[in-house]
Amino acid sequence: MTAKAGAVYDLGYEPFDGERRGRSGARIAVWTDGLRRMLGIRRKARRKILPWILVGLAVIPPIVAVGVAFLIPASIAEEIDLASQNAEFFQLAGTMTMLFTALSAPELLIPDRRDGVLSMLSSRPLTADDYLTARFASLLTIVASFLLLPQVVLFVGQAGSDSDGLFRGIVNAADSLPKIAIVAALYALAFVPLGFLVAAFSERKAIASSIYLAVMIGLAAIADAIVRNATFAGAKWVALTSPLDIADAANAEIFGKSNAGSLMAVADISPYVGVVSLLVIAVVATAVSAVRYRRVM
Amino acid sequence: MAVSALATTALGHAYGDIAALHSLDIDVPSGRTGLVGANGAGKSTLIKILLGILTPTTGTARVLGMDSQRDTIAIRSVVGYMPEGPCLPLDQTAADFLVYAAGTAGLPRQAARQRASDMLTLVGLNEERFRYIGDFSTGMKQRAKLAQAIVHAPDLVFLDEPTAGLDPSGREDMLDLITRLGSFGIDVVVSSHVLRDIERTCDYVVMLDRGTLLHEGRIGASADQDLVRIELIDGAQAVTNALVMAGAEVSADGNRLSVRYEKGDVFDLVRSTAATTGASLLSLTANGSSLEDLFLDHGSRS
Repeated sequence: MTAKAGAVYDLGYEPFDGERRGRSGARIAVWTDGLRRMLGIRRKARRKILPWILVGLAVIPPIVAVGVAFLIPASIAEEIDLASQNAEFFQLAGTMTMLFTALSAPELLIPDRRDGVLSMLSSRPLTADDYLTARFASLLTIVASFLLLPQVVLFVGQAGSDSDGLFRGIVNAADSLPKIAIVAALYALAFVPLGFLVAAFSERKAIASSIYLAVMIGLAAIADAIVRNATFAGAKWVALTSPLDIADAANAEIFGKSNAGSLMAVADISPYVGVVSLLVIAVVATAVSAVRYRRVM
Repeated sequence: MAVSALATTALGHAYGDIAALHSLDIDVPSGRTGLVGANGAGKSTLIKILLGILTPTTGTARVLGMDSQRDTIAIRSVVGYMPEGPCLPLDQTAADFLVYAAGTAGLPRQAARQRASDMLTLVGLNEERFRYIGDFSTGMKQRAKLAQAIVHAPDLVFLDEPTAGLDPSGREDMLDLITRLGSFGIDVVVSSHVLRDIERTCDYVVMLDRGTLLHEGRIGASADQDLVRIELIDGAQAVTNALVMAGAEVSADGNRLSVRYEKGDVFDLVRSTAATTGASLLSLTANGSSLEDLFLDHGSRS
């Protein structure tokens, strides 16, 4: 007798009586999908290349700095003060973050509109505000990680190289943690809402990325030209339209670095006034994006 | 008393100055319901109001006993929707997309994975689950759209033109799947302008024409018992005269006659008239078994 090679069973349809998490579950699903989408996880290989190159570029310099501090003789290592490098690495990571936002904000919003996925989502327990909030949170999560990852490497390096031992080193280095959190939040505020605004109104990802970079760099260039050269009254306040300069100035101020020669210093405007301007720009950009999505979803 | 699957009262909607729905009153029971009408009849607008995507200009709508405007989130938790247009991310695999679709309906991750796998098997995409949707054929995309509509085990599912763009074989498969949904205990509302598809899959019909209700009722019961179509070899004029004399309404197209007789049995009248006039009958067809006839008949009367 020959054994049966196999059998096909029609399993039919099983009803589902388990837990339904409703709106909060839907928001978490959109947030998680946003993280995967930005990093190219479970997408084709070519979609992973750019984001991971940028992650590498943001993380490798602090790893090198920490490695050097560990490897070279102690007498020379004392010259390299890891604790004083937070501001520099924030500035470096800031540039990478801007490029990452240019790449990721369009990726988060445009395919869902282009491929009609919003029509599926609009039948789910999810409002337009829920969708946008979840996508915003995805970008914020990645951007914050982007900004904080080099700082974590520095923190570990700083604590590990403390002459009083690792535990004491952690306690000593912990002083900088609130500053790190505040500066990361400010850079995120400078990059994310405008990236969202551009992506909310663009139809093509490449165009959205280009527009975003043009806006960020253009605002900085225009503000720089006007503040340094214009003679009309109130020209200095144009500095408040450049999120990049405001974040850099606040970064230097919080970590006690020299700000001389920067746009905000030339304009003679306190970085804290700049932070208020940053908040206003973020609120307006987010509100306009929300109005747009209430119409399309 | 059983709760209606759908119910509307004086429901109206306008896009600017253009009215899409006029004071619509329907009461649809559980089961498989066809929403039929020509393009622009208001089918998609009605579905979008029921899902809370559009706000009605007038009136109210209830889905599974819940108010479409007040209980939107609760409705969407237990309702599925297969839109007419594209709704699939082309850069995701079918399996990943279905897990995501289940998650957006509130299912926990583990359950979402299990349901996604089950639904892909159900719609015949199990072998293709790790292929990117962008590489799918039109038929496969339609199946994936259906799978996302039922992946969260809804109580009611709206299917908007589910057979659009499918070849005959794909169409048959899709209609079979739709028919099976009813047997799973899911109420189904199929919107289509292809009346034969509705006739084959549904047991209840709502007919719309330019935003107004043309007809609503059970498909078996919607047969017009008072109307027959006959074709004669000769003697059409004599038969027409005799039928009109007997009180029937007759419309003639050469030797083909449509006969409506409401005072008695229309079949008996036609048989006796043919006998008395000596005319030769080529065919005698009961009318109303076809939704198309019903649609045309209601349309001509309105």
